[in-house]
Amino acid sequence: MSAPISVEALSSEGRAALERLVVGLADSKRIMGIRYSDWVVGAPSIETGIATSSMTQDEWGHARLLYAMLKHLGVDPVEVEHNRGADEYANLSLLDEQFENWAALVTAMVVLDGALSVVLRGFSEGTFEPAGLRVPKMLAEEQFHVSLGFAWYRRLAAASDEARSLLRDATDAQLPATLAWLGADDAPAKVLVELGVMPTATALTTSFQESVGDVLASCDVDVGAVEPASDWDSARGRATGRPDAESVERARGDRNRSLFVE
Amino acid sequence: MIEITYDVFARKKRGCTLHHIGYVDALDDETAKVYAWTTYDEENWFEMCVVRRSQIIPVNRDEGPFAKTSGDAA
Repeated sequence: MSAPISVEALSSEGRAALERLVVGLADSKRIMGIRYSDWVVGAPSIETGIATSSMTQDEWGHARLLYAMLKHLGVDPVEVEHNRGADEYANLSLLDEQFENWAALVTAMVVLDGALSVVLRGFSEGTFEPAGLRVPKMLAEEQFHVSLGFAWYRRLAAASDEARSLLRDATDAQLPATLAWLGADDAPAKVLVELGVMPTATALTTSFQESVGDVLASCDVDVGAVEPASDWDSARGRATGRPDAESVERARGDRNRSLFVE
Repeated sequence: MIEITYDVFARKKRGCTLHHIGYVDALDDETAKVYAWTTYDEENWFEMCVVRRSQIIPVNRDEGPFAKTSGDAA
């Protein structure tokens, strides 16, 4: 790794790009946790429900650590966590709505959580020192998510025609936007590469394809042949759209806000 | 989907006795590891392992959970 960057010495473009990255990761973790929590009740077995509950806690813990990194950029994490509208959320667009079935959640464990881990690994190996200190523990916890997602994906791919069809539909739906997110090569992404904060978009995409290629092949998906989506909002570093209102209310903690104690 | 019963063993600290702390039903070894770790998380375990119940050989009893292999297709 190159020498750590000095946040104080960053240009306004560099600071904005780093803030976009951190908020995008934190929001994705926050909403990913909500999506896991949607399945704590309704998962196929008690053990699986407990596992999704644990993964919920992991994701929210990761979100909390990532939001806290904003302090290094002079941004108040409390404002970001609790006082933004849905249009300002920068989570992966595929997390905007609940997953319709268990196969879609399993696919998200592999595809979305997998993509988030690829980006976090790159972030942890870059020049933003707080990421190098905080992210490795997140990645260690994510190993359990990977194990669960891969095992379930392979099992569903080898199960009934209905299960396989649901899995394939979810994979086809999730991959293009995920590849667009990983492969974003706009001006803020280039700034982060120049600063050594992040690997190139090509490196991220290749790493993702290598990490999930075999498991997706169990459902006859060739990740290398999938075209990324073209929909992109450069301001937030995600596709256009926004999370549903209920999810944002849950993420912000609107209910019982009067009882909020900082 | 056929699930397999795994018994879960853990020790709190290095040198402590390995205790039987429970069981999980899982798809395979990998999911058994995840389920065991997330289900029995009341302690910060030094070591945890899972064993397919079908692989446990009863020594002195013909009855009880370890004498049966229900739910294990392996």
